[in-house]
This record gives sequence, C-alpha cells and structure tokens, in this order.
Amino acid sequence: MATQTPPRTPVTQPRLGPVGWARWAWRSLTSMRTALFLLLLLSIAAVPGSIFPQRSIDAAKVADFIASNLTTGPWLDRLGFFEVYSSVWFSAIYLLLVISLVGCIVPRSRMHWHTLRAKPPRAPRNLSRLDQHVELSYAGDVDSARAAAAEALRGRRFRVVSHDDESVSAESGYLRETGNLVFHTGLCVVIIGVAVGHLFGWRGDVILTEGDTFSSTLSSYDSFLPGAMTDPEKLPPFAIDLRSMNATFEDQVGGAQFGAPRSFTADVTTTEQPGGPSTQSEISPNHPVTLDGADVFLLGNGYAPVVTVRDASGAVLYQQATPFLAQDNVYTSVGAIKVGAARPTALAFSGFFLPTAEPTYANGPTSIFPDDRNPELALSVWEGDLFPANRPQSVYTLDTTNLTQLTKADGTPLLIRLQPGQTFQLPDGRGSISFDKVDRFAGLSARVDPGKELTLVAAIATILGLMASLLVRRRRIFVRVRPTDDPSRTLVTIGGLARTSDPGLGAVLAGLRTELSKGR
Amino acid sequence: MPSAELVGYSNLALYSAMAVFTVSMLIFAAYLAALGPVAAERGSKRRSRELVAAGNASVGSASAGSASARTPADAPPPADAVQAEGVPASDPPVGEPSARARKTGNIALYLAWLGTLLLVASVVMRGLAVMRPPWGNMFEFATAGAAAASLAYCLLARRRHWEWLGLFVIGPILLTLGLAMFAFYTEAAELMPALKSVWLVIHVVVAILAVAVFTIGFSMGIVYLVKRRREEHPPARRNFVETLPPAASLERAAYGLNMVGFILWTFTLVAGAIWAQKAWSAYWTWDPKEVWTFVIWVVYAAYMHARATAGWEPRKATWIALAGYVCVLLNFTVVNLLFTGLHSYSGLK
Repeated sequence: MATQTPPRTPVTQPRLGPVGWARWAWRSLTSMRTALFLLLLLSIAAVPGSIFPQRSIDAAKVADFIASNLTTGPWLDRLGFFEVYSSVWFSAIYLLLVISLVGCIVPRSRMHWHTLRAKPPRAPRNLSRLDQHVELSYAGDVDSARAAAAEALRGRRFRVVSHDDESVSAESGYLRETGNLVFHTGLCVVIIGVAVGHLFGWRGDVILTEGDTFSSTLSSYDSFLPGAMTDPEKLPPFAIDLRSMNATFEDQVGGAQFGAPRSFTADVTTTEQPGGPSTQSEISPNHPVTLDGADVFLLGNGYAPVVTVRDASGAVLYQQATPFLAQDNVYTSVGAIKVGAARPTALAFSGFFLPTAEPTYANGPTSIFPDDRNPELALSVWEGDLFPANRPQSVYTLDTTNLTQLTKADGTPLLIRLQPGQTFQLPDGRGSISFDKVDRFAGLSARVDPGKELTLVAAIATILGLMASLLVRRRRIFVRVRPTDDPSRTLVTIGGLARTSDPGLGAVLAGLRTELSKGR
Repeated sequence: MPSAELVGYSNLALYSAMAVFTVSMLIFAAYLAALGPVAAERGSKRRSRELVAAGNASVGSASAGSASARTPADAPPPADAVQAEGVPASDPPVGEPSARARKTGNIALYLAWLGTLLLVASVVMRGLAVMRPPWGNMFEFATAGAAAASLAYCLLARRRHWEWLGLFVIGPILLTLGLAMFAFYTEAAELMPALKSVWLVIHVVVAILAVAVFTIGFSMGIVYLVKRRREEHPPARRNFVETLPPAASLERAAYGLNMVGFILWTFTLVAGAIWAQKAWSAYWTWDPKEVWTFVIWVVYAAYMHARATAGWEPRKATWIALAGYVCVLLNFTVVNLLFTGLHSYSGLK
C-alpha cells in the first residue's frame, strides 16, 4: 500500500558469545519463574505413576496391562509410563529443579552471610515516612531514652545498634532467610539420602514356612534386589527360625469388615551371627526386628498345605509344606506341587488351596473366609516334562507346554478335592496324594538402607526451616530521640519497616510505646 | 467387639450434627442476604447506635492477614495507637452490618458451634466404642476431618468475625458428612494390623488438620476471587459481596490459611514416610497415595513460590492453591476408591 517505506535500520543487539549464552541459560534456569514452571510440571509428571501400574511395584501387573492393551501398551512402555519415576522425562524435570535450587541457594547463602554480619542501617531522618510509626513522650533525658529504647528492643530479640547519639537502629527476623536456606538445602540433602539408599541399600524377600529356618545368604533369598554399589557377598549372616505364624480375622462384625485382618504375628527365634546366642521375638506389621543392621519385616503371609505323594509301592516321593499364594482377601490361594521323582514320568499337581471352602463349588473353587475353618485342596493332575528346555519358571505355577492333564473315564479333567487327613489314589497305579495338615508361611523382607538416617535428619531440618521461613517476620525498627522544652522529657519516635506483609508490626510498635511510656 | 450402644449414640450425634448444620447453613445464607446494601439501608437507623462495636468488628477482620502474630480480639486494637501514613491504608473500613444482620450471623455461628460439638461428640463416642483412634477408614476420616474443619472455622470465625464465610465452609462440611454417612459408612470394628501404630495418631491427625485448614483456605480463595472480580468491574447492582472485607485482605487471609496448611502437609508427608519405613519397609515406594500426597505438596509449594514472585499477581497464585485443593479432594476420593495401592484403608469393598 504505502509507496514509501522508511528504510529499516536493524536494531543493534549485543552479540552473545558462548559465555553470554551460558550465563543467559543459567539466569533463566535459576529464575523463580522457571522454578515455578518446573514445580507445576513435576506435579503433573508424577500423576501417571499412580494411574498406570509400575514395574518397580508390580511387574506382573505391567505385563498384564501391556497384554490387554496391544496398541497403546507398547507405546506407553517405550515412553516410560510403567517406570515413571526412573524415566528420562521425570528425571530431567527433577534434576533441572535441583540445579535451579542450587542456583538459588548459593547466591542467597552468600548474600545472607553478609547480611548476618552487617549492622542494621542508619535510621532515616523522617520516621513518619515509614510504614508505621508511633510517638511518645519519655520521662527522662535523651541519653536515657535512647538506652531504654535499645534495651526494650534487645528484650524483643532485635539486633540493636546506635549509629549516633539520637537514634537507634534495630533489626530482627534473620531466622526467616536462614530457615528458607535450610529448607531448600534440606530438600537437596533428602535427594542425596535417597540416592545413597538406592546405591548402597538392598532388599531380600523370602517365604518361610512354619518350622523352617532361614540363613541370610545371597542364594537363600527368593528374590534379591541389590543397589548399584551393593556387595552381595557381604550380607549380614543372621538366621531366622519361624516357630509359628499366627493370623486372626474379623468374625464379630458384619458387612465389609467381616473377614478383615486383625492381627498377624510371626513367632521367631533369631541369631545375629552363626553360633551366636539366639533370641525369641515377634515380628508383626509395624514391628520389624533388626538383625545385624538389617531390618526384617513381616510383609505377607499365607497357607502352606503339607502334602505327601507316594508311588504305587507306598515309597514317599514328595513330602513338604508347599506355599500357596493368596489371590484375594479371603485367601483363595494358588500353587503347584512338582514331583520330579515320579516314574516313569514326572507328576505335577496345580490348583487351589481354600482355607474355608465354599462346599458347592458353584462358582468354581472359592474360599469364603480367610481363616482355616474348612480347609480344602482342589487340584488338577498333570504328567510329562516339568521343565521344558529348562526355561525359568515360578514355583507356584506349572509350565504346561509339555504336560498332559489326567482325565476321568468320561474324558473330563480329573479334579481332586482333599481335606486334611484324606488321601486320593491316583489312577492306573500312579500312586497316591495325601493332604496331611495346614501350615502357614510368613513372607519376610530383609532390608538395608544406609541413606535413611540422612534422609530423616534432612526431612526434619526441612520442616523446621520451612516453619522459620514462613512464620518468622523480618522487621526493622528505628528510634529517634529529640529533646523537648522540658528537660526531663524526651520526644521518642519509633518507626517500623516490614519486609513482607506484616500485620503484627503495629502490635510490636504499640507494645514498645506502652513499655517506654511507663518510664522506669 | 465394639459397643453397639455407643456406636448408636455416635451415629445419632452425627445425624443431629447434620440437622443442626443444615439450619446453621440456611441462617448463614440469610445473614449474607441481610448484609446486602438494600437490607443494610433499611437497618441504617439502628446501625448508628451500634457503630462503636461495629468499628471493633472491622478492625478484627482487617488484621486477618496471617495466622501468626496477631493481637487477641479483646486487647485494645493497635490501629488507634499506630498512624499509618505514606502507604495506602492496608484495609479500608468494611461496611458495617446492620444490627439485625449481626444478630442473624451470631445465631448462625452459635448453631455452627452446636453442630461442631455434636460432631466432636460423635467422633469421641466412635473412638470409645472401638477403643482406638476413630480415623481408621474412609467414613471415620471424613467425619473426623469435617469435625476438625468446623472446629477450626468456629474458632476463627469467633475471633475474626468471619460469619460471612460460614455458608462456604458449613456447606461443604455438610456435603462431606452426607457422603460419609450414605456412601462411605463402615461398621465400627477393630483396626487392620497395618494401622495399629502410634503413627496413626501422629500422621493422620496432622493430615486431618491440614485438610481442615486447606478447606477453609479454599473457601476463602474463592470468596477472594469473586470479590476481586467485582472490585475490578463494579456491578450495577450491589449485593453482599460489596460489604465483605477488601480483596487484598481476603487474599492475605487465604494465604495465611494455605501457608499453615502447607506446613502441616509437609509434616504429614514426612510423618507418613517415617511410618511407611516401619510398616512397609521403605519410606517411599511411589504408592498412589504417596504420589498424590507429593503432588499436593508440590502444587502448594508452587503456590507459595508464585505468591512470593513479584511478577505474579495474587489472583493467578490463588488459582494454583485452588488446583491444590482439587488434588486434595481427588486424593481422598478417586485415589482411595479406584487406585489400588498399599493405602487400602477405605474399609469399603
């Protein structure tokens, strides 16, 4: 449109060298605005970990989720949604936050260090220009008024200095910034404590049936999760003998509370060192025992039916308490009995243990109460190759690829129902299976976290620092004294300056006024 | 075996509290209506007689800035001893309510006190019936939380003349109690083993207090946003909002509450981690409840930072605090009922 365009003069901008850019990046990263943005981002990024199953908590659930969401599952997996808290994006956010935090703490600490050693500044000439001020007439001369004002301020824990003969400067609330720095430093130390725990700590889980003894060595744990820097050859060599595992369940109150757990107690005999003295103690939820630096927790329990399998001649092929894992709140439990010693082919049983069996099996084998009121085993029978290609498999399930299921004469699968004391004769001279009695097992977890004390101390410091930084008020109070016509009276002006919104400042000034008006 | 008789009395007290709160809420609404300028003009003749007392009332709500360091209401107000000059007066005087309006507000607050006492009695009787801290499942947590919120409100309202906030606090409390009684009700019973710990008292009590304070802070935040909007765009028809304290003072009150809530929440988080170390063998396992406790903490931390940042206006910061409270609500409802984790204590099936 316009025929004449004024010639454009390019805006001259300073050219940023690499150092300039680095400084710009550092400034942007450590600004409050960025910290705020990162905080909000962190809160949003943490949420998926509560929605999707997490591998660190329940790997089986993750596998189930991927299997039932064939399109989205693998993508979510690739993007780290099943390991949110160790994913690249989550780590990136909190590492940037830590850098931003350090970039905030360091300069502010330096500044606060100077403030702490500095004297309160000179009193302004005209105190009536301050946020709030009061005036009073003091019964005494100028020097005594000044001394009294300084004394009153010291009594209120102000740092007090007189720059000249007619004024007093006072400041309080240094703890506010100290608390702020302690809070933010504490957060960094918490993260260090967590990292120490992850690097040097370990966790070992074991299922122990009643009457069994467990010695802590690497191979004796059912699962062992070492930290990156853990030496698994140097585990504390304690031993635990499970004398009995006791559980009680709600049977007095109806509704949703019926069958809820009421107490779990593992009676154990422990030794800290091989050959050392043994101690009888109890492990229950909230009450772990500490053995040679490792805390041992009772994290699970269940039933381990004692089963005996004999061959046709009556020779015992298998006899042991076999843990079955509870699947629900009423302890409908699944497990497998693998009899590799059976000839000509190996035998296996898989199925359910029901502590209180619903007798009709109308909905399949189910338990109706978690305590062992009417225990029953419901098993199917298999024969063939138990360990095809020596693939790793769970002790609680069968790999049925090379197994065939035994059937009844009419071709339907053979189902064995056994109560304690009962024996079932297997068809065609394969021998027999007996259900001898019900034992319980305890799921114990040994854990060492060398970072937890550091984390705890840092967390407590964080709370204290936070309280100081939010509840302490930073105040400056200035006093000017002026002689009046009456030599026995002095005009005292007190002015207050608040650094942040401070509704209590007026009360402090009023209190000072009252105290000084009384005179001595 | 819990005492059925005590449980009955406890539930009766709970129903009574709900009835009393309902009446209290209606009268709080009537109080707000009476605050409106039209009603105020009608009562203006009577008002002149009451001016001295009303002046005191405005000082009380004007110093509502923070939860710390304040003068008791009965102490001589410092405002007359301190001359504020050079800066805009922190709180211009609030329109004084008419005598009738104040009477209405007093009745509503007395009823709120009565409801609170009934509710506290209900919680205490439930505790005596089961001989344990009465906050072991969702129903009990909701009831105890409502009791803490109403108690906190009543105490604050008496000291600072916050009758105008009553409708916005007692309303949500009533809603919570209704949900607790009709959706979350759980039979009185013993605790599950994981909850039998002294940390049930420390961790959960502080969590209840934090939620109570956050609730009042949330209501205050909403009132602030409304007031602020009407201050920016004065409406043609004035109503009770115009008689509330100025937006800046409401914002400071909301900040004070959220700040106290944030400190309590930090304590809740740390105490929960210590308990988790005892009960579950690790102080932090990213259990859904832990995740959301952390999310709430981070959101309120963002609020504290936003408010401390010069470039952010308080209105935007308040929105972050409101988002934080929405997370509190999600943490109590969705996380308890839909997410499976170690914190499975709802007591519901």
